[in-house]
Amino acid sequence: MALQAVGLTQRFGDRVALAGVDMTVRPGVLTGLLGPNGAGKTTLMRVMLGVIEPDAGEVLLDGRAVGFRDRQRWGYMPQDRGLYPLMPAGDQLVYMARLHGLDKSEATDRARSVMAELGLADRWDERVDKLSGGMQQRLQLGAAIVHDPDVIVLDEPFAGLDPVAVEELSVTLRDRVTAGRTVVFSSHQLDLVQDLCEEIVMIHQGRTVLAGLVADLRAASGRRQLRLGLDPGAPRDWLAAFPDVTVAADQVDAVRLEIPPWVDPLAVLDAARAAGPVTDFGLDLPTLSEMFLDAVGDRAALSEGAHA
Amino acid sequence: MSTGSWWPGARLVAGRALAEGGSSKSWRIVTLLMLLAGLAVAIVPRLLGSQTPQYTLGVVGDVPAGLSTQLQGAAALGDFTVNIATYPDAAAAEQAVRDGDADAALVETDGAGTLYVSADGSATFPAIVSQAVLADRITTTLQGYGLSATEIAAIRATPPPEQVPVGKVANEGRAAVGMVVGIVLYLTLILTGTTIATAVATEKTTRISEVLLAVLRPTQLLVGTVIGVGVLGLAQVAAVGVPAGIAVLTGSSFDLPTAAVGDIALGLVWFVLGICVYAFLFAAMATLVQKVTEVGSAILPVNVLLIGSYLLAVIVTIQDPNSPVSVAASLFPFSAPLVMPVRWASGLVPAWQLGLAFVLAAGAAVGLALLASRIYARGLTLSGRRVKLREAISG
Repeated sequence: MALQAVGLTQRFGDRVALAGVDMTVRPGVLTGLLGPNGAGKTTLMRVMLGVIEPDAGEVLLDGRAVGFRDRQRWGYMPQDRGLYPLMPAGDQLVYMARLHGLDKSEATDRARSVMAELGLADRWDERVDKLSGGMQQRLQLGAAIVHDPDVIVLDEPFAGLDPVAVEELSVTLRDRVTAGRTVVFSSHQLDLVQDLCEEIVMIHQGRTVLAGLVADLRAASGRRQLRLGLDPGAPRDWLAAFPDVTVAADQVDAVRLEIPPWVDPLAVLDAARAAGPVTDFGLDLPTLSEMFLDAVGDRAALSEGAHA
Repeated sequence: MSTGSWWPGARLVAGRALAEGGSSKSWRIVTLLMLLAGLAVAIVPRLLGSQTPQYTLGVVGDVPAGLSTQLQGAAALGDFTVNIATYPDAAAAEQAVRDGDADAALVETDGAGTLYVSADGSATFPAIVSQAVLADRITTTLQGYGLSATEIAAIRATPPPEQVPVGKVANEGRAAVGMVVGIVLYLTLILTGTTIATAVATEKTTRISEVLLAVLRPTQLLVGTVIGVGVLGLAQVAAVGVPAGIAVLTGSSFDLPTAAVGDIALGLVWFVLGICVYAFLFAAMATLVQKVTEVGSAILPVNVLLIGSYLLAVIVTIQDPNSPVSVAASLFPFSAPLVMPVRWASGLVPAWQLGLAFVLAAGAAVGLALLASRIYARGLTLSGRRVKLREAISG
């Protein structure tokens, strides 16, 4: 089921949290909602979940407006906590599953299998506030997926996780995506999730600034850097043949070159090899952070132009 | 929205609140204390023994058979017992009264007699003895005039004027029950309200409310929480009320009229109405907090209303249940749950006023629930800071 946000606008008093955000999340494609703190990610998620009514715009599922009943088949994990501290872990999941319409025995079965999947099988009767931080985070994920939802929305699920936990969580999410579920998560740590999500939506100050498949966006960004490892003190005069190539960083045994789209990086590599030994090389596409900064910079220029 | 889909969600919420609250140590302790208090009402009077007054009449020589019959008849009517103690002479009988061994001593000499009474004792028993002696002598005199036993019985059947007590309350014992009902209601309403407020604030500050609001309507969450915690409160009221009510009914508790059972039952009804009036307000105010520790100050306005009503009930209404202030306070929806049960126990309240108080409280509860659910829905979603009440209402 494709999840879509169209022109969502949300004000809190004088503050504009969302200024016409558009977003599409496709099933089977792990999608990251990215942006710095305060960009409007959480507000966007709360609007999509129906926790708050937007001032304008709508949330669509397969092209039609999302209703209360649709959200019974959704799972939501809010940023940190989201659990009853005094409730036993297993009961918590059973309760969440039943709220989403499962009957008691079905809910209990599902809760047991999710607890097992998340490595919490022996913690069924333990009170939530007695669990370690890492276990609480896993249980919280369990609460969002216990009813096997079609749509899974997670707010900053990777924040504060150690590398092992990041890996476990991404495996769990990828399993759902592979099974055809619609999964979207938010993050402000752009480079942490760079390799986790296939598709991204970047928002800044309540607006969508960049959206699409990560691979396409990086390839189309026009920003490529050729990294060359050279003998210490090797001359750089061969570079004169490429007037459009600029030097981004120059060290004694390496050089980082900015390659514009119309220049073939292989030609540059060949020229370097012709001039002397190349000990190491690589073509780096821009990081998500760099792409974000580019997108925001462009937008800033654009709005300045509009005001001029 | 059909009831079919609304109620299952609200019931789940209520069930969870009930399970969590019921397993908490504080609820169990308070309920146990309430139960012990209720059982004490039933058991303590038995331990204290009979409350029937006992009087001792000192006599010299034989007591006339007629007088003895008269006294026993009066004792049966007045719910007391009379012992007869015989002394050798008038001086010994007089001394017995002086020492407090006898409540009165009758010394008869040929148609005239002397009744020794304690100078600082109650006048009730001497008056009863005097009347019995008088009645006995009149009977003897009438027999002397040749009247038949039937005629004498007819004369003696002349009823005394009926006595009507005209105090501020119909029965002091019942009024005391009313006051206890007021105290129990106050304690349980405050406790239940605070529990609801804490539960709501916990849900908001842990962001559980966000997960819940994605699948539940705010009214399901609000009503479910109020029902769950409200049932726990009702159980506490019942823990003290049911044993006490049974004790009154079976006559094992003090000297209370059975009407007091009605006062206790009415207390349960007013608890439910009180919850309906107050609980939604407690819940709504609790959504304005940013941290659980702010609950106390957030619900202060509601607590002030409750405390004010309680003080009205135990200070003003107990003193004068039918003063204009008491009547008004027993009808006003915010104070009625505490003032009306206390006032009703005075036994001097017209039934229509109780009915009117019910209707007004129920109507106010509906209005307050609607207002509260608006504040509740807004308050839960405004996070990151302390929310102003005006903002939550107008937004």
